[in-house]
Amino acid sequence: MRLFDRHLTRRRFLQASAGTAAALALGGLPTASRLFAQSGSFNMMTWSDHFYPEQLDAVAKATGIMPQISELAGNAEGYTRVREVGGQLDLISGDALWVPRYYEDSLIEAWDINELEVAKTLYPIAREFPWWTTPEGYLGYPFGWSPVQIYYDPAYVSPEPDSWEVLLDPKYAQRVMVENQPEEIPAYMGKYIGAADPYNMTEDELAQATDAMYLLKPNILRLAQQNTDTVSALANGEVWLATGNLGTDERVLEAGGPELKLFTPKEGTIGWMDAEMIVAGGANSANIRPWLEAAEQPEYMAQNFILYGRPLFNEAAYKILVDNGHQERADRFLYNQPEVAATMTLKGPSPSTAAAVEAFNEVFAAG
Amino acid sequence: MTHAMAGGHGVPPAEPEAGRQRRPLTRLWPALPAVLVLGVLFLGSMAFMVVFSFWRTVDLDIVADWNLDNYVKFFTSPTYPGTFVKTLVMAAVVTVTCLALALPFTYFLVRYVARRWQRIVLLAVIVPFWTSYLLRVYAWQAILGERGVINQVLLSLGIIDEPTRLLSYNNVSVYIVLVYVYFPFAALALYATLERFDFGQLKAAQDLGARPDQALRHILLPQIRPGIITACIFVFIPIIGEFLTPIIVGGTQGVLIGNPVINFFRAGQITQGAAFALIIAAFVTVLLIVFRRHLQVEDVVARG
Amino acid sequence: MWSPVAERIDPLESMPVSPYARLTRRLLWVLAALVMAFLYLPIVLLVIFSFNEPRTPGLPITGLTFDWYAKALSNRVLLDAVRNSIVVAAIVAIAATVIGTMAAFALVRGGIRFPGAARVFATLPIMLPGMLLGIAILIFMRRVLDLQLSLLTVVAGHLVFTVPFVILIVAASLQGFDRNLEWAAADLGADSRRTVRHIILPLIWPSILAGALISVTLSIDEFVVTFFTVGPQLTLPIYIYTQIKFGVTPEVNAIATLMLGTTLGLIVLGMALVALRRRLRRGKEGS
Repeated sequence: MRLFDRHLTRRRFLQASAGTAAALALGGLPTASRLFAQSGSFNMMTWSDHFYPEQLDAVAKATGIMPQISELAGNAEGYTRVREVGGQLDLISGDALWVPRYYEDSLIEAWDINELEVAKTLYPIAREFPWWTTPEGYLGYPFGWSPVQIYYDPAYVSPEPDSWEVLLDPKYAQRVMVENQPEEIPAYMGKYIGAADPYNMTEDELAQATDAMYLLKPNILRLAQQNTDTVSALANGEVWLATGNLGTDERVLEAGGPELKLFTPKEGTIGWMDAEMIVAGGANSANIRPWLEAAEQPEYMAQNFILYGRPLFNEAAYKILVDNGHQERADRFLYNQPEVAATMTLKGPSPSTAAAVEAFNEVFAAG
Repeated sequence: MTHAMAGGHGVPPAEPEAGRQRRPLTRLWPALPAVLVLGVLFLGSMAFMVVFSFWRTVDLDIVADWNLDNYVKFFTSPTYPGTFVKTLVMAAVVTVTCLALALPFTYFLVRYVARRWQRIVLLAVIVPFWTSYLLRVYAWQAILGERGVINQVLLSLGIIDEPTRLLSYNNVSVYIVLVYVYFPFAALALYATLERFDFGQLKAAQDLGARPDQALRHILLPQIRPGIITACIFVFIPIIGEFLTPIIVGGTQGVLIGNPVINFFRAGQITQGAAFALIIAAFVTVLLIVFRRHLQVEDVVARG
Repeated sequence: MWSPVAERIDPLESMPVSPYARLTRRLLWVLAALVMAFLYLPIVLLVIFSFNEPRTPGLPITGLTFDWYAKALSNRVLLDAVRNSIVVAAIVAIAATVIGTMAAFALVRGGIRFPGAARVFATLPIMLPGMLLGIAILIFMRRVLDLQLSLLTVVAGHLVFTVPFVILIVAASLQGFDRNLEWAAADLGADSRRTVRHIILPLIWPSILAGALISVTLSIDEFVVTFFTVGPQLTLPIYIYTQIKFGVTPEVNAIATLMLGTTLGLIVLGMALVALRRRLRRGKEGS
């Protein structure tokens, strides 16, 4: 090891050992290299708002199971990961029409969610969505949903809008904010131009949607990377119009912003609904069902709604909310109307995603 | 036993030919771990991407259908070449600015600050960058935005009547934030070479009658050239692949070429994204090759 | 204005200083101060936002509270993520510095036939967008190496884009190295190893340190490559960047402030210890 020694000058050695000591002191190394969770655990990849810390702790106490949670950056990213890591994940969340896509690629299992007692607390309609039903079973345990709505500041936006068109109105130049989702924005425009399936547009429809995007572009102040961006911009008045999920107006008020109004465009809107999917061949999948049984209890779902403010598919939780004085808020968020979820155009991958993204890039990558 | 250093017996190697025979393997072994990391891991990974770039993505599945379409699309579209050129210009401007700031900064640090304080200042420069990039960029929004610090200051001083949008969500804000983000890299790169410079030489030059700026230009700059080149590389090259800053502070105007590439990946169009990224990398590689004389790296003596 | 300590008289300080030079020095000082202000302005805001009441970090400031700190410190997921980030960054910094420094030696002195090409090759990883690297490494690790993803695979992924930085910066320093020093040492009987250890490394350590600092910086906030190469763990950037649907809360600002405060505190502590040791040593010598 002659020449390796040269790198161990006293300073470097001190630095190295300090670093290692710190790591060990923080309990880092042994746990950091843990590849699989120990018994009583499983690996889950989900959106950050599906579970909250107190819930996880309480469920762990009750069942002895504590999942290792990693976060989803987006549906396509999660899909790529599951395709590559397969059984290293046990449970993954996915939106709407991504779910059957996972199934088609044999990435997830179909199962009978009614095995779980707690499934009875779900709205019946949520247990029977046709796009999640297969002969072999249901494709995921439903969680929540939200339509995309348009929020606006009535102080600056008039007359009262009712259509996607308001986003294209030149008098709102640089006053609009939309999420940075290259697959979704063409779909929004697709809804506007009345395409039959905004996620699977014909060439003609796509051309029209592209024209619409050209009109949209000068109005956009910026594309939101996260919900924080939208809320922040609406709160400090930088933008007057924005697309967003349910609850954005609440968050804007809380951030010191103006009172906003919202509407669902008359041409119809996009929406998402998500579910927890069991990954095929997951090493720890035995722990999933008992854990879901405990974690999806209505009490937790009700608290989740209070924390995050968007409708969930748990019916019993609605009753809890009502009993605890949250009915007004729950109704505002359409909690008790899960059938609305079925009327949304659902997010999902499609054969024309490539063309849609190319169109988006043509318009927005031009600077 | 042979060692990786030239000579070893007091004078420059008198018989380079004899040494050269034994040189390749024994002198290069320190590169082994790097070869593993870069050669195996990086090249192995990129091999997939290179192949994918010639295939197709059909409905999220990568299909082994060899074609050049992905590449053609880059050049036949009106958008991409233009944005690419713009990115190169932006990278160049940011690089020049970072150099213009970092050079006097590190010069001051090395020349006028006591040695043990130098490290502290260096750490003080870099430690803020160990907080989240996202948070720092959000903070920039709070500075440059319509209701941001700058506007509020200007308004309260009466310099402007209305909040200005000149500094937010456009190329200017991207430029400012990129300078902010990449300054430490330039400073660190310059510090590394400047620190070894013998400032006595400047004094000697002045004694011999040179003006200070002449001394700087003819003595200092040539000797720290490797550091300057490194600083340029550290700033220019990564900016080519930047996409996050443009998204967060660039609005729809401050788009760089990284953005459409990322969009393809986020939508599952891996083959298309790979092709574009490789085009960009190829171009930058060509640039590096064209300027290779400036990037000279080998030790003249070692070549024998 | 800093002045050198008595034990080390800077020869430049004893030179007669022309007013020209004095002015330049003053101007440079102002510039340096402005640069530091520029660097820290967003940080100051970041810290302020951690005390702001609203759930969404940013202006306007509506009220001050310590709530977010309380929440952050009781958020186990967040704390685990921070711990993982630090561990990964520490390992990456050490590994990248060692690997990169060794490679720099080979690059500059190894007598490679096409050193320019080697250097361009070493630069390749940093010109590619992170997502390309991330997905590529994921596919390679899974399909070719059949590895289980974990923090170790994250480290490997990070090494791909940190090692080039270290190579470049150390190579630049080695390039201009005065060979006479080595030959003099050899004349005095030092073999290669001692030469390296006592002559070369001490003189190029600033570039090694710079490389290490750059590696830490790149690794500790890296999201994209990390997302694709991590196992069932979280790092802080992943935690932050995936709060897409509901956004980040000032908990993150609180954690960032704590991390910043701790690091700066450690630096001050280190300085104090060094100064103390120096004083003790001088005291001993004096008596």
